[in-house]
Amino acid sequence: MFSLHGYGPSIFEGTILTLEVSLASLFIAMLLGICGALAKLSRARSLRLIAQIYTTTIRGIPDLVLMLLVFYGGQMFINQLGPMLGYDGYIDINPFIAGVSTIGFIFGAYMTETFRGAILAVNKGQLEAGTAYGMSAFMVFRRITLPQMVRHALPGFGNNWLVLIKTTALVSIIGLNDMVRKAGLAAGATREPFTFYLVVAINYLVITSISIYILKQLERRYSVGVREF
Amino acid sequence: MEDRVVSVALDEIHKRFDANEVLKGISLSAHHGEVISVLGPSGSGKSTLLRCINLLEVPDSGRLFVSGEEVILKKTRDNRTVPADMKQVERIRSKLAMVFQQFNLWSHLTILQNVIEAPVHVLKVPRQEAIDRAKMYLDKVGIPDKLEAYPAHLSGGQQQRAAIARALAVEPEVILFDEPTSALDPELVGEVLQVMRTLAEEGRTMIVVTHEMGFAQEVSSRVIFLDEGLVMEDGDPQTVFNNPETDRFSTFIKAMV
Repeated sequence: MFSLHGYGPSIFEGTILTLEVSLASLFIAMLLGICGALAKLSRARSLRLIAQIYTTTIRGIPDLVLMLLVFYGGQMFINQLGPMLGYDGYIDINPFIAGVSTIGFIFGAYMTETFRGAILAVNKGQLEAGTAYGMSAFMVFRRITLPQMVRHALPGFGNNWLVLIKTTALVSIIGLNDMVRKAGLAAGATREPFTFYLVVAINYLVITSISIYILKQLERRYSVGVREF
Repeated sequence: MEDRVVSVALDEIHKRFDANEVLKGISLSAHHGEVISVLGPSGSGKSTLLRCINLLEVPDSGRLFVSGEEVILKKTRDNRTVPADMKQVERIRSKLAMVFQQFNLWSHLTILQNVIEAPVHVLKVPRQEAIDRAKMYLDKVGIPDKLEAYPAHLSGGQQQRAAIARALAVEPEVILFDEPTSALDPELVGEVLQVMRTLAEEGRTMIVVTHEMGFAQEVSSRVIFLDEGLVMEDGDPQTVFNNPETDRFSTFIKAMV
């Protein structure tokens, strides 16, 4: 039907990079999300305030603007810090690290809200039972809260993950060779932009469809023992 | 009675929630093998009293002893009372077991997993031993065929009996029952009371907050009547029910019937 003019392998490499950026960002987002949620639910007012500032700021600024801020701002910051630590050369920020940390940081804020809601949805009496049987606070979290919050978190988590995958398209503007950028290069060289962006669109759709399938399986698995509605 | 071992002792326990003083100086000791029914109108502090024993609520003042060990409490800078040593609290809690009004079984675990959870993870009992013990206790409470079921698939009465098996599995010094039949449909109350009666006959130490006058009168060895945060009656069921010292108790009983 249509020819990729030999750019297939290049797009494939880009797809792999997109997946790498997505998964690495997801990992950071989940860590920040759990910390953020626990901070928001903690008794310490300072922790709650920090988490509140984090989610308010991040969710209020466009992802694109944030990414450019982190990329250029981070570059400036590191190059001012370098001489102070006795390093005189110019340091380039690795765009992969810049992209992953920005996306992770952004979605950490969304995950914070998702996880906070999920933790609040766990039955208080069951947590109290854990405490009453001699579990430490950490053990109650690990043995009761965590396995039960997964079920409550999955729908919101799935949403965040799908949006996150699509947000990785932004890393092309800071020079990362993800599939969008690869497609852009191929489109420029062959003058067939529609073909290559269509391929990219299909790739995203395949990745997100597989994700949705896996999420559904997970939801089923974590609903074991709960009355079906 | 005199030389029997004291399982739990409270000395001048006070507890307030904001402006509301719920316990106004409760002293009480439960001896090994006693079955104590704690009665009282709602708001009399009976659940709070029970929850102070395993420190789900921390008393504001007073002393608390569990199997001979005093719980060390301290004041924070903002004048709240907190346990000085959480490790001690966890150790003490692991010697007590609690049966809740709302069962509070862990809904993501099967009944068997519920029963072995605390023995395996808190008391570090070898898994196989915990499983064998769990099966024995589930048999005792009459649901040996529900090992693999999840709590949501059981009736309220079965859930509460599973919760009692969970309590027995930690082989506790004292079992605390917090209105164990209040959330049950009337036709399911009997099966739970029957299990509790069996435990009482085995000589287990139990403190039962309840509205079941029949249980208090027939099964318990001692009845305590709490009103407005104070112990108003304390004695064996015959004496308390037939010759109460206070008018409050007579009024309470009349209102119950």
